[in-house]
Amino acid sequence: MLDRFRRIPISLRVSVLTALLMMVLGVLASQQVLTALSRVQDDRVRETALQHISGLSVALGPQVLRKDVWEVFDTLDRARAAHDGQRLTMTIVADTNGVILASTDPRRAPVDARIDRFVTDAVAPDAISITNASTLRVLAPLVYQGRPIGQILAEVDVSDLLAQRREASLYLLLGNGFGTMLLSLAGYFLAARILHPLDVLSAALNSGTGTLRPIPEAEIPRSDPEFSKLFTTFNAMADAVEARSDAERRLAERERFVSLGRLSSSLAHEINNPLGGLLNAADTLGKFSDRPDVVRRTAELLQRGLAHLRDVSRAILDENRLDRTGLPLRSEDFEDLKLLFEPEAHRSGQTIRWEIPAGQDFGPPAAPIRQVALNLLLNASAAAGPKGRLAVFARSGQGRFALTVQDNGPGLSERDLDRLIGEKPLPPGGGVGLRIVHDIVAALSGRIIHERSGGLTRITVEVPLRETG
Amino acid sequence: MNRRSVLLGAAAAGLAARLHAEPVFRLALTPVFLDNDAVVIDRLHAALAEGMQRPIELVQRRTYQDITGALLEGSVDAAWVCGFPFLQHQRELSLLGVPVWNGKPLYRSYLIVAPGDRAERLEDLRGAIHAFSDPDSNSGYLVTASDLARIGETPDDFFSRSFFTFGHRNVVRAVAAGLARSGSVDGYVWEVLSQVEPALTAGTRVIGRSELLGFPPFAGRQDRSLDADVRLFRETILNLHQTEAGRAALATLYLDRIDPGSVGLFDGIAARMAAIHWSP
Repeated sequence: MLDRFRRIPISLRVSVLTALLMMVLGVLASQQVLTALSRVQDDRVRETALQHISGLSVALGPQVLRKDVWEVFDTLDRARAAHDGQRLTMTIVADTNGVILASTDPRRAPVDARIDRFVTDAVAPDAISITNASTLRVLAPLVYQGRPIGQILAEVDVSDLLAQRREASLYLLLGNGFGTMLLSLAGYFLAARILHPLDVLSAALNSGTGTLRPIPEAEIPRSDPEFSKLFTTFNAMADAVEARSDAERRLAERERFVSLGRLSSSLAHEINNPLGGLLNAADTLGKFSDRPDVVRRTAELLQRGLAHLRDVSRAILDENRLDRTGLPLRSEDFEDLKLLFEPEAHRSGQTIRWEIPAGQDFGPPAAPIRQVALNLLLNASAAAGPKGRLAVFARSGQGRFALTVQDNGPGLSERDLDRLIGEKPLPPGGGVGLRIVHDIVAALSGRIIHERSGGLTRITVEVPLRETG
Repeated sequence: MNRRSVLLGAAAAGLAARLHAEPVFRLALTPVFLDNDAVVIDRLHAALAEGMQRPIELVQRRTYQDITGALLEGSVDAAWVCGFPFLQHQRELSLLGVPVWNGKPLYRSYLIVAPGDRAERLEDLRGAIHAFSDPDSNSGYLVTASDLARIGETPDDFFSRSFFTFGHRNVVRAVAAGLARSGSVDGYVWEVLSQVEPALTAGTRVIGRSELLGFPPFAGRQDRSLDADVRLFRETILNLHQTEAGRAALATLYLDRIDPGSVGLFDGIAARMAAIHWSP
């Protein structure tokens, strides 16, 4: 619920919260008004009842003493006509024994009947409070010359006051509702206007490209120093992020050449070693041109040496070709890797076991996987040291391609693991090879599994295969 | 101010001076009257003042006893009383005139209940709360009391409670409001009320009407019957129907005129007094 609320635009959230606060305020204010109204109404009814009863007490004293039924009735009847007859619906006068002497409605409260059934819910005049009943009963002693001579009960009709209360509640509800709605609407527009820069900022943050889009100069609110400063800072930040991304892209590009650069001396040897043999062969051909058997053997030797040179140079070219991105990874790509990497390994006395299914189309794009494999191999070779043992496994199945590079080195340092697997920003300095593996695998929506067991370090890259087609 | 208004003013001042010079004639009015109608009082006052050419004071008292007492002690010169107290003090009082209503100097007493009440006669009202008008009223007490006496009852025993309202209109109010189940009321007052306040009499139903009895008369003291002012008063009331102011006053009272009448008109009341063993 709270999360859903947080997803609402901030200008709407502000006006919703404002409206809620206003509603609370409206309810509190209405409560105050209704309480005040109730107090005024209670006072009014109390005053009416007190006036009526005290006035009657004075007039009725001698008549009640004489138990003069007619005179008591006549007085009550005239008082009813003269008084707020609408409010005082009935008045009953009884003697001290509770026997009714007269009432303004003798059919309901007949002479000589008992007053008891009318007094059950009656209150004293100063305790009057309007509840939900439309008729209140007030009971007071009838005092004449300082002594009680009977009782007087008045029925007070408060239905008009109740209606007034209901009407006031309704008007307050409607008025507050309308006011809240109107002010909320105004609040919404104002908040939207004030918070518009935040929307601009939010749009610049979520431009859909995953990058920060600098805010155009025209949209920077120069009249608002706070937002102006915020936008300028944001633009500076966006520029810095863009510059950093550019640098990373350039670095990744360069890394391919760096990888090859690291192999260049081995590759130079690889080219240079056969060259001595080839030169000897050429010399032999010159010396023994008249011996067909020597020429034939030497020519075969030349052919093998040159073919090797051709394969090495093709592998180097392939590694650098940029238009390979679209091609799928095949077993032949691993042959290239073998050609490029094995001379370097042999130089260090390392052995490499290749477990690559022959003549297979693995599925994922060739270029990035080749780069990943080369980087992992270079890393494993460096870790394994002289006479180390390396292994490369590749397989496809169950919608995934997996490449594992294994070495018997001492294992990855904490820092190298961070580069390979961690998501945290990297501190400046250090090699970028492992980080590039991390970024490539992330771009292919794959994952990297690092295992260390039995003195072996195993790094597996798993990449989901797209639908064939 | 022109000469005409000066002359008119002088004439008015002269009349006022003459009125003030004469002694005031006091007439006591009984609650037979529709006591809520100030117009009746004003018109009667105007008619008498014009007829007698002297200041008139209309004295209103709450009960018949007060009125009769005032007449007997001489604090008023004449009174409109009921036939019952007139007969009670027949030796001290002289008959000055009897109002004629509906062509006769007679009226009836009514027994009334609420319209929804099942009672059809006096006997059905045993145990009821009953409203009387005045203990000295013929129609508002004596008729019902004598009817009960004829069946061997008294009001106190027959009714669970009875009270006096000291006004025929009040009896109608008491019954209409439900304060009393039944009431004894002046038939003339009830009939007039049914025309001027039909909403009030609509709350009552007449279940008993007495025989025709002598209408409440105007009376003076026997020993002053030959006094000039008493004779002038008698002459004035007997001629009310011949003056415009007099006719206006009679109209508001729904009366035709005032006749000289005779004591014999009140024989029916005397018979009812005998039934309750009343003796002076």
